[in-house]
Amino acid sequence: MITKETMDLNQQAIENVVKQKIVEIAGQLGEDASELQNDDIIPATGLIDSAGLLELIAWYEDFYQIRLAQEEITIDNLGTLSTMAEFVLRKKGLV
Amino acid sequence: MAVSIHVPRVNNNDDEVKLISLRVAVGDSITRGHLIAEVETDKAIVEVEAPNDGFVLGVLGSVDDTLTVGSILLWLGERPDEPVPSLKAPSAPSSQGAVGQPTAKARQLLKEHNLEASAVPASGNRLTAEDVERYINSRNQRASASQTRPAEMPPEVEGQLRDLRSEERGMLATVTWHRDVAVAGYIELEYDPAPWEIYAKAFTEKHKLLLNPLLSLMSWRLVTLAQQSPILNATIVGNQRYEYSAVNLGFTVQAGETLYLTVIRHAEALDEIGFVNAMGDVQRRAAVHKLGPLEIQGTTISFSSMARWKVSRHIPILPPRTAIMIAHAVSTDGRSVLGASYDHRVLNGSHVVTVLRKLSKPKDRE
Repeated sequence: MITKETMDLNQQAIENVVKQKIVEIAGQLGEDASELQNDDIIPATGLIDSAGLLELIAWYEDFYQIRLAQEEITIDNLGTLSTMAEFVLRKKGLV
Repeated sequence: MAVSIHVPRVNNNDDEVKLISLRVAVGDSITRGHLIAEVETDKAIVEVEAPNDGFVLGVLGSVDDTLTVGSILLWLGERPDEPVPSLKAPSAPSSQGAVGQPTAKARQLLKEHNLEASAVPASGNRLTAEDVERYINSRNQRASASQTRPAEMPPEVEGQLRDLRSEERGMLATVTWHRDVAVAGYIELEYDPAPWEIYAKAFTEKHKLLLNPLLSLMSWRLVTLAQQSPILNATIVGNQRYEYSAVNLGFTVQAGETLYLTVIRHAEALDEIGFVNAMGDVQRRAAVHKLGPLEIQGTTISFSSMARWKVSRHIPILPPRTAIMIAHAVSTDGRSVLGASYDHRVLNGSHVVTVLRKLSKPKDRE
């Protein structure tokens, strides 16, 4: 199991961990998100609803220890697995 | 002058909280925003911060104590040698003394309810009408709850009596206010969701939002309607209607097993995108149980949606001292419904139908 202490901070690793979380949330709603691709627009897939997205963002902030301003919660920054991974790296000054 | 810092309400349904950490001691010099303590209920933890700079004069609780919401937790003074106004037990009602002069509205309310200012806890340097309202409400809830305790004799069928948890006691008090104080009615109408969906989609694209703003936009519409019709944002005090100065929009958020009524205070002072962002922010922190006490109390009008659960109807319990709560639902067959629980002492059916019709479409479609 990946924890805050054991996580890798690189693009692919972050994409994989975020996808795992989306699969978990979608599963609670009776959806299968295992086929989600890195460039799929997450809200447009219909795999998780608004409350699920809210749960995802709250988890993302806590897990990666980044503080999001409400204005940063946009499609451009967090719309896909790829952009979510890039955003973590950018916030932590790793790119 | 010494000011009192009170035990915050963590959850709308909890009248007691547990003190889990105390970060200051008598004599400490602290600054505004300094973390004083953390309190918790079964489901959430809230940090208590200093409202201003000062010296800790007295602390009325110890770690692991169960404290009554609204009782004094700590005294803060301008000088370290100021006398402490009172150091009685934190749970004793008589210790909840106000330290500042009541405002004019507060004095009027105190007089109407035959209350002494010293009996009512102040949330700031002065005792406000809101403090008095909160105290009266809490007192009414306690009285109502005590009237609804199980009968002395249990039912004939064999069973066991169990004590209620604090949040269960709080819910009992709230529903009892709804039943015994408000004269609650319910009205609903079906509406065409297309105009709202088009509006929300355009808003999402314009601001490149990740989260669907539909319910926030509908809530914002309710705020603007409350501004236009103050009777919507009101309650009854004695034989008079009390119209709130601020529109404090309450919005229900289910976080795990905890149901929060999150509150955007002074919503009327925001613009549309400012309100949507404020709603997103408070909902996000509700999801991880990190809400400040002012974000879960003081609602004056509210909105609740069960669209996620695809129910065709839900009739919400009115938050105490409010006149209306909107109930939004979308059933499995796509039927969209707007309903409202309302206090018939404040509003009549015509008021409610009017607000529901206006709320059923964005302002630009009026």
